[in-house]
Amino acid sequence: MSIQILLMELVLMPLVAFVVGLFLVLMLRRIGAKLQRRVGPPMMQPLYDIVKLYGKKTQISHGWMHDIGIIMAVGGYVAAETLLPVPGMDGIADKGGLVTLVYVMMIPSLGLALGVGQCANPNGSIGIARALTAMLAYDVPFVIVVFGVAWYFGTTNLVDIIAIQQAGGVAGWGATAMPLLAIAGLFALQGMLGKQPFEIYIAPAEIATGPMVEMSGKYLGGLFVMQCFQLYTAGVLYVSLFLGGGENWLFFLLKVFVVVAIPMTVAFLFPRYKTEQMIRLMWKWPVMIGLLGLAFVMH
Amino acid sequence: MKNMKEIDIPIEASVEQSRTNPLARVFDELVRFCRSRSMFMLHYCTGCGAIELPPAMTSRFDMERLGIQPMVTPRQADILLITGYVSIKTLKRVILTYEQMGSPKYVIGICSCTVNGGMYWQSYATAKQLDQYLPVDLYIAGCMPRPEAVLEGMRKLMDRIRSGEADGWKDYYRRYDWYLGNQQHLFGDDWQTPADVIGEASHYDLAGSGTEGEHTHLLQQCQKPLEPQQTFFQIGGSLEVKGESHE
Repeated sequence: MSIQILLMELVLMPLVAFVVGLFLVLMLRRIGAKLQRRVGPPMMQPLYDIVKLYGKKTQISHGWMHDIGIIMAVGGYVAAETLLPVPGMDGIADKGGLVTLVYVMMIPSLGLALGVGQCANPNGSIGIARALTAMLAYDVPFVIVVFGVAWYFGTTNLVDIIAIQQAGGVAGWGATAMPLLAIAGLFALQGMLGKQPFEIYIAPAEIATGPMVEMSGKYLGGLFVMQCFQLYTAGVLYVSLFLGGGENWLFFLLKVFVVVAIPMTVAFLFPRYKTEQMIRLMWKWPVMIGLLGLAFVMH
Repeated sequence: MKNMKEIDIPIEASVEQSRTNPLARVFDELVRFCRSRSMFMLHYCTGCGAIELPPAMTSRFDMERLGIQPMVTPRQADILLITGYVSIKTLKRVILTYEQMGSPKYVIGICSCTVNGGMYWQSYATAKQLDQYLPVDLYIAGCMPRPEAVLEGMRKLMDRIRSGEADGWKDYYRRYDWYLGNQQHLFGDDWQTPADVIGEASHYDLAGSGTEGEHTHLLQQCQKPLEPQQTFFQIGGSLEVKGESHE
Protein backbone atom coordinates (compact mmCIF):
# COMPACT_ATOMS: atom_id res chain seq x y z
CA MET A 1 0.00 0.00 0.00
CA SER A 2 1.44 3.34 -1.01
CA ILE A 3 1.88 6.12 1.49
CA GLN A 4 -0.61 8.40 -0.31
CA ILE A 5 -3.44 5.89 -0.01
CA LEU A 6 -2.61 5.31 3.64
CA LEU A 7 -2.65 9.04 4.38
CA MET A 8 -5.94 9.45 2.54
CA GLU A 9 -7.44 6.60 4.56
CA LEU A 10 -6.21 8.12 7.82
CA VAL A 11 -8.11 11.31 6.95
CA LEU A 12 -11.18 9.62 5.49
CA MET A 13 -11.81 7.09 8.26
CA PRO A 14 -12.43 9.63 11.06
CA LEU A 15 -14.49 11.76 8.66
CA VAL A 16 -16.72 8.84 7.73
CA ALA A 17 -16.95 7.96 11.43
CA PHE A 18 -18.12 11.50 12.22
CA VAL A 19 -20.80 11.53 9.53
CA VAL A 20 -22.09 8.08 10.51
CA GLY A 21 -21.89 9.17 14.15
CA LEU A 22 -24.15 12.16 13.45
CA PHE A 23 -26.80 9.78 12.14
CA LEU A 24 -26.30 7.46 15.12
CA VAL A 25 -26.97 10.41 17.44
CA LEU A 26 -30.04 11.26 15.40
CA MET A 27 -31.21 7.65 15.73
CA LEU A 28 -30.64 7.78 19.49
CA ARG A 29 -32.82 10.87 19.82
CA ARG A 30 -35.46 9.56 17.41
CA ILE A 31 -35.75 6.26 19.33
CA GLY A 32 -36.20 8.23 22.55
CA ALA A 33 -38.83 10.40 20.89
CA LYS A 34 -40.74 7.45 19.44
CA LEU A 35 -40.79 5.64 22.79
CA GLN A 36 -42.24 8.78 24.36
CA ARG A 37 -44.72 9.20 21.44
CA ARG A 38 -43.06 12.35 20.18
CA VAL A 39 -42.02 13.32 16.68
CA GLY A 40 -38.39 13.86 17.55
CA PRO A 41 -35.75 16.15 16.12
CA PRO A 42 -35.35 16.89 12.40
CA MET A 43 -32.76 15.10 10.26
CA MET A 44 -29.90 17.57 10.58
CA GLN A 45 -30.42 18.39 14.26
CA PRO A 46 -27.11 16.91 15.55
CA LEU A 47 -25.23 19.01 12.99
CA TYR A 48 -27.17 22.18 13.92
CA ASP A 49 -26.29 21.61 17.56
CA ILE A 50 -22.59 21.21 16.84
CA VAL A 51 -22.35 24.22 14.49
CA LYS A 52 -24.23 26.37 16.98
CA LEU A 53 -22.04 25.31 19.89
CA TYR A 54 -18.88 26.08 17.93
CA GLY A 55 -20.37 29.48 17.06
CA LYS A 56 -20.82 30.50 20.68
CA LYS A 57 -18.55 33.00 22.35
CA THR A 58 -16.96 32.88 25.72
CA GLN A 59 -14.40 34.84 27.61
CA ILE A 60 -14.07 32.31 30.38
CA SER A 61 -11.10 29.99 30.55
CA HIS A 62 -10.67 27.19 33.02
CA GLY A 63 -6.98 26.83 32.22
CA TRP A 64 -5.04 25.05 29.51
CA MET A 65 -5.50 21.60 31.00
CA HIS A 66 -9.23 22.03 30.39
CA ASP A 67 -8.55 22.72 26.69
CA ILE A 68 -6.17 19.78 26.38
CA GLY A 69 -8.66 17.47 28.09
CA ILE A 70 -11.21 18.04 25.31
CA ILE A 71 -8.54 17.57 22.62
CA MET A 72 -7.56 14.27 24.25
CA ALA A 73 -11.19 13.18 24.44
CA VAL A 74 -11.82 13.79 20.73
CA GLY A 75 -8.30 12.82 19.65
CA GLY A 76 -8.46 9.47 21.44
CA TYR A 77 -11.49 8.50 19.39
CA VAL A 78 -9.99 9.87 16.15
CA ALA A 79 -7.02 7.58 16.80
CA ALA A 80 -9.38 4.69 17.51
CA GLU A 81 -11.17 5.18 14.15
CA THR A 82 -7.92 4.60 12.24
CA LEU A 83 -7.53 1.27 14.02
CA LEU A 84 -11.02 0.05 13.10
CA PRO A 85 -11.26 -1.54 9.65
CA VAL A 86 -14.28 -0.58 7.55
CA PRO A 87 -15.19 -1.98 4.11
CA GLY A 88 -12.50 -0.98 1.64
CA MET A 89 -10.31 0.80 4.20
CA ASP A 90 -8.02 -0.84 6.70
CA GLY A 91 -6.00 2.18 7.77
CA ILE A 92 -3.39 1.06 10.28
CA ALA A 93 -5.67 -1.65 11.70
CA ASP A 94 -3.43 -4.60 10.86
CA LYS A 95 -0.47 -2.88 12.50
CA GLY A 96 -2.31 -1.75 15.62
CA GLY A 97 -4.41 -4.72 16.60
CA LEU A 98 -7.08 -5.25 19.21
CA VAL A 99 -4.93 -4.57 22.26
CA THR A 100 -3.88 -1.12 21.04
CA LEU A 101 -7.49 -0.34 20.22
CA VAL A 102 -8.70 -1.26 23.71
CA TYR A 103 -5.94 0.91 25.15
CA VAL A 104 -6.73 3.87 22.89
CA MET A 105 -10.42 3.69 23.77
CA MET A 106 -9.60 4.52 27.40
CA ILE A 107 -7.84 7.79 26.51
CA PRO A 108 -11.03 9.88 26.10
CA SER A 109 -12.20 9.15 29.65
CA LEU A 110 -8.77 10.00 31.04
CA GLY A 111 -8.62 13.20 28.98
CA LEU A 112 -12.03 14.20 30.24
CA ALA A 113 -10.90 13.51 33.81
CA LEU A 114 -7.90 15.81 33.39
CA GLY A 115 -10.01 18.57 31.85
CA VAL A 116 -12.88 18.38 34.30
CA GLY A 117 -10.52 18.27 37.26
CA GLN A 118 -9.23 21.69 36.26
CA CYS A 119 -12.62 23.43 36.33
CA ALA A 120 -13.04 22.97 40.10
CA ASN A 121 -16.77 22.42 40.00
CA PRO A 122 -17.78 19.89 42.67
CA ASN A 123 -20.46 18.40 40.41
CA GLY A 124 -17.84 17.86 37.73
CA SER A 125 -15.48 16.14 40.15
CA ILE A 126 -18.25 13.87 41.42
CA GLY A 127 -19.26 13.08 37.86
CA ILE A 128 -15.79 12.22 36.64
CA ALA A 129 -15.08 10.10 39.74
CA ARG A 130 -18.23 8.15 38.96
CA ALA A 131 -17.31 7.93 35.25
CA LEU A 132 -13.90 6.44 36.02
CA THR A 133 -15.45 4.00 38.49
CA ALA A 134 -17.94 3.02 35.79
CA MET A 135 -15.03 2.47 33.42
CA LEU A 136 -13.50 0.15 35.98
CA ALA A 137 -16.80 -1.71 36.12
CA TYR A 138 -17.41 -2.29 32.40
CA ASP A 139 -13.77 -2.79 31.43
CA VAL A 140 -13.55 -6.13 33.28
CA PRO A 141 -16.22 -7.89 31.18
CA PHE A 142 -15.01 -5.99 28.12
CA VAL A 143 -11.45 -7.29 28.47
CA ILE A 144 -12.73 -10.83 29.07
CA VAL A 145 -14.79 -10.59 25.86
CA VAL A 146 -11.88 -9.22 23.84
CA PHE A 147 -9.57 -11.92 25.22
CA GLY A 148 -12.08 -14.65 24.39
CA VAL A 149 -12.51 -13.47 20.81
CA ALA A 150 -8.76 -13.15 20.30
CA TRP A 151 -8.25 -16.67 21.72
CA TYR A 152 -10.95 -18.18 19.51
CA PHE A 153 -9.63 -16.67 16.28
CA GLY A 154 -6.01 -17.12 17.33
CA THR A 155 -5.06 -13.54 16.51
CA THR A 156 -5.41 -9.99 17.83
CA ASN A 157 -5.39 -8.55 14.32
CA LEU A 158 -8.85 -7.13 13.57
CA VAL A 159 -8.38 -7.46 9.80
CA ASP A 160 -7.69 -11.18 10.20
CA ILE A 161 -10.57 -11.64 12.63
CA ILE A 162 -12.97 -10.10 10.12
CA ALA A 163 -11.52 -12.12 7.23
CA ILE A 164 -11.94 -15.40 9.14
CA GLN A 165 -15.57 -14.58 9.99
CA GLN A 166 -16.43 -13.56 6.44
CA ALA A 167 -14.88 -16.74 5.05
CA GLY A 168 -17.32 -18.86 7.07
CA GLY A 169 -20.51 -16.91 6.30
CA VAL A 170 -23.09 -16.37 9.06
CA ALA A 171 -22.06 -19.69 10.63
CA GLY A 172 -18.55 -18.32 11.02
CA TRP A 173 -19.60 -15.13 12.79
CA GLY A 174 -18.33 -14.58 16.29
CA ALA A 175 -21.88 -14.32 17.62
CA THR A 176 -22.72 -17.83 16.31
CA ALA A 177 -19.53 -19.39 17.61
CA MET A 178 -19.46 -17.56 20.95
CA PRO A 179 -23.04 -16.59 21.89
CA LEU A 180 -22.22 -16.22 25.60
CA LEU A 181 -19.36 -13.84 24.91
CA ALA A 182 -21.62 -11.87 22.54
CA ILE A 183 -24.19 -11.43 25.33
CA ALA A 184 -21.50 -10.33 27.79
CA GLY A 185 -20.26 -7.93 25.12
CA LEU A 186 -23.69 -6.34 24.81
CA PHE A 187 -23.72 -5.79 28.58
CA ALA A 188 -20.32 -4.11 28.42
CA LEU A 189 -21.49 -2.02 25.45
CA GLN A 190 -24.37 -0.66 27.51
CA GLY A 191 -21.94 0.48 30.19
CA MET A 192 -19.43 1.79 27.68
CA LEU A 193 -21.99 4.03 26.01
CA GLY A 194 -23.13 5.22 29.45
CA LYS A 195 -26.76 4.49 28.73
CA GLN A 196 -29.61 4.45 31.16
CA PRO A 197 -29.20 1.77 33.76
CA PHE A 198 -25.56 2.86 33.90
CA GLU A 199 -25.66 6.63 33.44
CA ILE A 200 -25.20 7.65 37.06
CA TYR A 201 -22.19 9.80 36.13
CA ILE A 202 -24.30 12.02 33.84
CA ALA A 203 -27.40 12.26 36.08
CA PRO A 204 -28.69 15.63 34.81
CA ALA A 205 -31.18 16.26 37.59
CA GLU A 206 -28.83 15.35 40.45
CA ILE A 207 -25.29 16.44 39.56
CA ALA A 208 -26.10 18.63 36.52
CA THR A 209 -24.61 16.34 33.81
CA GLY A 210 -21.51 15.60 35.88
CA PRO A 211 -18.38 15.94 33.74
CA MET A 212 -20.13 18.34 31.34
CA VAL A 213 -21.22 20.80 34.01
CA GLU A 214 -18.73 23.59 33.21
CA MET A 215 -18.54 22.90 29.48
CA SER A 216 -19.80 25.83 27.48
CA GLY A 217 -19.82 26.61 23.77
CA LYS A 218 -16.88 25.04 21.99
CA TYR A 219 -16.10 22.65 24.85
CA LEU A 220 -19.60 21.22 24.76
CA GLY A 221 -19.34 21.14 20.97
CA GLY A 222 -16.21 19.03 21.35
CA LEU A 223 -18.11 16.66 23.60
CA PHE A 224 -20.96 16.41 21.08
CA VAL A 225 -18.39 15.47 18.41
CA MET A 226 -16.93 12.96 20.87
CA GLN A 227 -20.36 11.40 21.35
CA CYS A 228 -20.67 10.81 17.59
CA PHE A 229 -17.30 9.05 17.58
CA GLN A 230 -18.12 7.10 20.72
CA LEU A 231 -21.33 5.60 19.32
CA TYR A 232 -19.59 4.75 16.05
CA THR A 233 -16.53 3.19 17.72
CA ALA A 234 -18.56 1.01 20.05
CA GLY A 235 -20.89 -0.13 17.27
CA VAL A 236 -18.13 -0.89 14.76
CA LEU A 237 -16.02 -2.73 17.33
CA TYR A 238 -18.93 -4.99 18.26
CA VAL A 239 -19.74 -5.61 14.59
CA SER A 240 -16.09 -6.45 13.88
CA LEU A 241 -15.81 -8.86 16.79
CA PHE A 242 -19.12 -10.68 16.55
CA LEU A 243 -21.03 -9.89 13.36
CA GLY A 244 -18.40 -10.47 10.71
CA GLY A 245 -17.45 -6.88 10.03
CA GLY A 246 -18.63 -5.39 6.77
CA GLU A 247 -18.76 -7.16 3.41
CA ASN A 248 -19.94 -3.93 1.83
CA TRP A 249 -21.02 -0.52 3.15
CA LEU A 250 -24.74 -1.28 3.04
CA PHE A 251 -24.59 -4.35 5.29
CA PHE A 252 -21.89 -2.79 7.42
CA LEU A 253 -23.94 0.32 8.23
CA LEU A 254 -27.06 -1.79 8.73
CA LYS A 255 -25.25 -3.93 11.31
CA VAL A 256 -23.76 -0.89 13.08
CA PHE A 257 -27.12 0.86 13.36
CA VAL A 258 -28.83 -2.31 14.64
CA VAL A 259 -26.10 -2.89 17.23
CA VAL A 260 -26.25 0.70 18.50
CA ALA A 261 -30.06 0.66 18.51
CA ILE A 262 -30.12 -2.18 21.08
CA PRO A 263 -28.57 -0.21 23.99
CA MET A 264 -30.63 2.86 23.04
CA THR A 265 -33.90 0.95 23.16
CA VAL A 266 -33.00 -0.70 26.43
CA ALA A 267 -31.84 2.63 27.85
CA PHE A 268 -35.16 4.43 27.65
CA LEU A 269 -36.93 1.67 29.55
CA PHE A 270 -34.80 1.85 32.70
CA PRO A 271 -34.08 4.21 35.56
CA ARG A 272 -30.48 4.22 36.75
CA TYR A 273 -28.39 2.21 39.18
CA LYS A 274 -26.14 3.67 41.84
CA THR A 275 -22.40 3.36 41.23
CA GLU A 276 -21.87 0.52 43.67
CA GLN A 277 -24.89 -1.33 42.30
CA MET A 278 -23.50 -0.89 38.81
CA ILE A 279 -20.13 -2.34 39.79
CA ARG A 280 -21.76 -5.25 41.58
CA LEU A 281 -23.96 -5.96 38.57
CA MET A 282 -21.16 -5.55 36.04
CA TRP A 283 -18.69 -7.68 37.94
CA LYS A 284 -21.30 -10.36 38.59
CA TRP A 285 -23.47 -11.11 35.53
CA PRO A 286 -21.48 -10.13 32.43
CA VAL A 287 -18.27 -11.38 34.03
CA MET A 288 -19.92 -14.69 34.92
CA ILE A 289 -21.44 -15.08 31.44
CA GLY A 290 -18.15 -13.99 29.88
CA LEU A 291 -16.05 -16.44 31.92
CA LEU A 292 -18.47 -19.25 31.08
CA GLY A 293 -18.21 -18.34 27.41
CA LEU A 294 -14.45 -18.19 27.73
CA ALA A 295 -14.44 -21.70 29.25
CA PHE A 296 -16.44 -23.02 26.29
CA VAL A 297 -14.12 -21.27 23.82
CA MET A 298 -10.93 -22.51 25.48
CA HIS A 299 -12.14 -26.06 25.97
CA MET B 1 -38.12 58.50 43.90
CA LYS B 2 -36.87 58.96 40.40
CA ASN B 3 -39.10 57.20 37.94
CA MET B 4 -37.14 54.61 36.01
CA LYS B 5 -39.27 55.03 32.93
CA GLU B 6 -38.26 58.64 32.46
CA ILE B 7 -34.55 58.08 32.24
CA ASP B 8 -33.24 58.90 28.80
CA ILE B 9 -31.80 55.78 27.23
CA PRO B 10 -29.30 56.24 24.43
CA ILE B 11 -29.65 53.42 21.92
CA GLU B 12 -26.58 52.91 19.84
CA ALA B 13 -26.65 51.47 16.36
CA SER B 14 -24.51 48.39 16.01
CA VAL B 15 -21.21 49.06 14.27
CA GLU B 16 -20.55 46.75 11.35
CA GLN B 17 -17.02 45.41 11.50
CA SER B 18 -15.09 45.10 8.29
CA ARG B 19 -14.64 41.44 7.40
CA THR B 20 -11.70 40.22 5.41
CA ASN B 21 -12.96 36.73 4.65
CA PRO B 22 -15.04 36.76 1.42
CA LEU B 23 -17.16 33.89 2.80
CA ALA B 24 -17.86 35.69 6.08
CA ARG B 25 -21.47 36.42 5.16
CA VAL B 26 -22.08 32.79 4.22
CA PHE B 27 -20.66 31.60 7.53
CA ASP B 28 -22.65 34.20 9.43
CA GLU B 29 -25.82 33.10 7.70
CA LEU B 30 -25.05 29.43 8.46
CA VAL B 31 -24.29 30.08 12.11
CA ARG B 32 -27.40 32.23 12.53
CA PHE B 33 -29.51 29.50 10.95
CA CYS B 34 -28.03 26.85 13.25
CA ARG B 35 -28.50 29.11 16.26
CA SER B 36 -32.16 29.49 15.40
CA ARG B 37 -32.63 25.75 14.87
CA SER B 38 -30.82 24.62 18.00
CA MET B 39 -31.86 26.36 21.18
CA PHE B 40 -30.95 24.91 24.55
CA MET B 41 -33.14 26.32 27.25
CA LEU B 42 -32.09 26.49 30.83
CA HIS B 43 -34.03 24.34 33.25
CA TYR B 44 -34.65 27.20 35.62
CA CYS B 45 -38.12 28.50 36.06
CA THR B 46 -39.74 31.05 38.31
CA GLY B 47 -43.34 31.43 39.30
CA CYS B 48 -46.33 29.59 37.94
CA GLY B 49 -45.70 29.67 34.18
CA ALA B 50 -43.31 26.76 34.58
CA ILE B 51 -46.29 24.43 34.64
CA GLU B 52 -46.95 25.14 30.96
CA LEU B 53 -43.50 23.97 29.89
CA PRO B 54 -43.74 20.20 30.51
CA PRO B 55 -46.73 19.93 28.12
CA ALA B 56 -44.82 21.99 25.57
CA MET B 57 -41.86 19.61 25.86
CA THR B 58 -43.62 16.24 25.98
CA SER B 59 -45.59 14.18 23.51
CA ARG B 60 -48.45 16.53 22.78
CA PHE B 61 -46.53 19.57 21.54
CA ASP B 62 -42.93 18.27 21.43
CA MET B 63 -40.51 21.19 21.43
CA GLU B 64 -37.69 18.94 20.20
CA ARG B 65 -39.21 19.17 16.71
CA LEU B 66 -37.95 22.73 16.67
CA GLY B 67 -34.57 21.80 18.13
CA ILE B 68 -35.40 23.13 21.59
CA GLN B 69 -33.92 21.01 24.36
CA PRO B 70 -33.72 21.50 28.10
CA MET B 71 -30.20 21.85 29.50
CA VAL B 72 -29.30 21.84 33.14
CA THR B 73 -26.47 24.32 33.59
CA PRO B 74 -26.27 27.96 32.50
CA ARG B 75 -22.96 27.26 30.77
CA GLN B 76 -24.67 24.97 28.27
CA ALA B 77 -27.83 26.98 27.73
CA ASP B 78 -28.85 29.61 25.18
CA ILE B 79 -32.27 30.68 26.39
CA LEU B 80 -33.23 31.81 29.85
CA LEU B 81 -36.95 31.44 30.39
CA ILE B 82 -38.45 33.63 33.08
CA THR B 83 -41.78 32.01 33.62
CA GLY B 84 -43.72 34.22 35.94
CA TYR B 85 -43.25 36.71 38.73
CA VAL B 86 -39.71 37.41 39.83
CA SER B 87 -39.33 38.23 43.48
CA ILE B 88 -36.36 40.42 44.36
CA LYS B 89 -34.61 37.47 45.95
CA THR B 90 -35.15 35.40 42.79
CA LEU B 91 -34.03 38.24 40.54
CA LYS B 92 -30.58 38.16 42.12
CA ARG B 93 -30.27 34.47 41.20
CA VAL B 94 -31.64 35.11 37.73
CA ILE B 95 -29.02 37.78 37.07
CA LEU B 96 -26.23 35.55 38.42
CA THR B 97 -27.44 32.79 36.11
CA TYR B 98 -27.78 35.09 33.12
CA GLU B 99 -24.25 36.42 33.45
CA GLN B 100 -22.84 32.88 33.50
CA MET B 101 -24.41 31.93 30.19
CA GLY B 102 -22.26 32.00 27.07
CA SER B 103 -23.12 34.60 24.43
CA PRO B 104 -25.23 34.80 22.33
CA LYS B 105 -27.94 34.32 24.90
CA TYR B 106 -31.61 35.16 24.88
CA VAL B 107 -34.12 35.95 27.59
CA ILE B 108 -37.81 35.19 27.20
CA GLY B 109 -40.30 36.66 29.63
CA ILE B 110 -43.34 34.41 29.91
CA CYS B 111 -46.59 35.45 31.69
CA SER B 112 -47.86 38.95 32.29
CA CYS B 113 -45.99 39.22 35.60
CA THR B 114 -42.73 39.71 33.72
CA VAL B 115 -44.30 42.39 31.51
CA ASN B 116 -45.72 44.70 34.18
CA GLY B 117 -45.88 42.82 37.46
CA GLY B 118 -49.29 41.35 36.64
CA MET B 119 -51.33 40.57 39.73
CA TYR B 120 -48.25 41.30 41.87
CA TRP B 121 -48.27 44.96 40.85
CA GLN B 122 -48.75 46.10 44.44
CA SER B 123 -46.29 43.66 45.94
CA TYR B 124 -43.27 45.23 47.63
CA ALA B 125 -41.14 42.13 47.05
CA THR B 126 -41.61 41.65 43.31
CA ALA B 127 -39.64 43.10 40.41
CA LYS B 128 -42.31 44.57 38.14
CA GLN B 129 -40.71 44.97 34.76
CA LEU B 130 -38.12 42.41 33.78
CA ASP B 131 -36.54 44.40 30.94
CA GLN B 132 -35.23 46.97 33.38
CA TYR B 133 -32.86 44.41 34.85
CA LEU B 134 -32.16 42.05 31.98
CA PRO B 135 -32.36 42.50 28.19
CA VAL B 136 -35.55 40.66 27.27
CA ASP B 137 -35.69 39.47 23.67
CA LEU B 138 -39.28 38.35 23.66
CA TYR B 139 -42.34 38.52 25.87
CA ILE B 140 -45.07 35.92 25.78
CA ALA B 141 -48.04 37.50 27.50
CA GLY B 142 -50.84 35.62 29.20
CA CYS B 143 -51.70 34.37 32.61
CA MET B 144 -50.47 31.77 31.91
CA PRO B 145 -49.90 31.40 28.16
CA ARG B 146 -50.92 28.01 26.83
CA PRO B 147 -48.28 25.69 25.28
CA GLU B 148 -49.46 26.80 21.82
CA ALA B 149 -48.62 30.38 22.73
CA VAL B 150 -45.25 29.33 24.14
CA LEU B 151 -44.40 27.49 20.92
CA GLU B 152 -45.62 30.43 18.84
CA GLY B 153 -43.32 32.67 20.85
CA MET B 154 -40.42 30.26 20.35
CA ARG B 155 -41.01 30.33 16.60
CA LYS B 156 -41.02 34.12 16.73
CA LEU B 157 -37.68 34.02 18.56
CA MET B 158 -36.32 31.63 15.93
CA ASP B 159 -37.24 34.11 13.20
CA ARG B 160 -35.66 36.97 15.11
CA ILE B 161 -32.43 35.02 15.73
CA ARG B 162 -32.26 34.07 12.07
CA SER B 163 -32.66 37.65 10.91
CA GLY B 164 -30.20 38.84 13.55
CA GLU B 165 -32.72 41.03 15.40
CA ALA B 166 -32.49 39.14 18.68
CA ASP B 167 -29.41 40.85 20.06
CA GLY B 168 -30.47 41.64 23.59
CA TRP B 169 -27.21 40.20 24.91
CA LYS B 170 -25.30 42.92 23.05
CA ASP B 171 -27.57 45.52 24.58
CA TYR B 172 -26.65 44.28 28.06
CA TYR B 173 -22.98 44.95 27.34
CA ARG B 174 -23.60 48.29 25.60
CA ARG B 175 -25.87 49.71 28.30
CA TYR B 176 -24.55 47.82 31.32
CA ASP B 177 -24.48 50.98 33.39
CA TRP B 178 -28.22 51.47 33.03
CA TYR B 179 -29.05 47.86 33.83
CA LEU B 180 -26.66 47.90 36.79
CA GLY B 181 -28.22 51.13 38.03
CA ASN B 182 -31.65 49.51 38.13
CA GLN B 183 -30.20 46.46 39.85
CA GLN B 184 -28.48 48.62 42.46
CA HIS B 185 -31.71 50.54 42.98
CA LEU B 186 -33.33 47.25 43.99
CA PHE B 187 -30.54 45.37 45.75
CA GLY B 188 -28.55 48.18 47.32
CA ASP B 189 -25.24 49.81 46.48
CA ASP B 190 -23.09 46.84 47.46
CA TRP B 191 -24.63 44.55 44.82
CA GLN B 192 -22.03 42.62 42.85
CA THR B 193 -21.83 39.47 40.75
CA PRO B 194 -18.81 37.24 40.08
CA ALA B 195 -18.96 37.94 36.32
CA ASP B 196 -16.74 40.71 34.96
CA VAL B 197 -19.28 42.23 32.57
CA ILE B 198 -17.19 45.27 31.60
CA GLY B 199 -14.22 43.05 30.80
CA GLU B 200 -16.41 40.80 28.68
CA ALA B 201 -17.86 43.81 26.86
CA SER B 202 -14.42 45.00 25.81
CA HIS B 203 -13.47 41.41 24.94
CA TYR B 204 -16.40 41.21 22.52
CA ASP B 205 -15.79 44.76 21.19
CA LEU B 206 -19.17 45.79 22.51
CA ALA B 207 -18.08 48.39 25.06
CA GLY B 208 -19.88 51.63 24.26
CA SER B 209 -20.53 54.92 26.01
CA GLY B 210 -23.21 53.26 28.13
CA THR B 211 -21.08 50.40 29.36
CA GLU B 212 -19.42 52.39 32.10
CA GLY B 213 -20.89 55.21 34.13
CA GLU B 214 -21.75 56.30 37.64
CA HIS B 215 -23.23 52.96 38.59
CA THR B 216 -20.25 50.93 37.46
CA HIS B 217 -17.99 53.32 39.39
CA LEU B 218 -20.10 52.64 42.45
CA LEU B 219 -19.72 48.91 41.75
CA GLN B 220 -15.96 49.23 41.50
CA GLN B 221 -15.86 51.07 44.81
CA CYS B 222 -17.90 48.46 46.65
CA GLN B 223 -16.52 45.44 44.85
CA LYS B 224 -14.78 42.89 46.98
CA PRO B 225 -12.39 40.69 45.06
CA LEU B 226 -13.47 37.08 44.79
CA GLU B 227 -11.31 34.73 46.76
CA PRO B 228 -10.81 31.12 45.81
CA GLN B 229 -12.74 28.84 48.09
CA GLN B 230 -10.44 26.96 50.39
CA THR B 231 -11.21 23.92 52.39
CA PHE B 232 -9.02 22.81 55.22
CA PHE B 233 -8.96 19.34 56.60
CA GLN B 234 -7.63 18.95 60.07
CA ILE B 235 -6.37 15.49 60.71
CA GLY B 236 -6.21 14.31 64.27
CA GLY B 237 -7.31 16.79 66.94
CA SER B 238 -10.64 17.84 65.46
CA LEU B 239 -12.07 14.36 65.75
CA GLU B 240 -11.96 14.50 69.54
CA VAL B 241 -13.97 17.71 69.63
CA LYS B 242 -16.95 16.09 67.96
CA GLY B 243 -17.09 13.67 70.85
CA GLU B 244 -19.84 11.17 71.21
CA SER B 245 -20.09 9.58 67.77
CA HIS B 246 -16.44 8.60 67.87
CA GLU B 247 -16.32 7.08 71.29
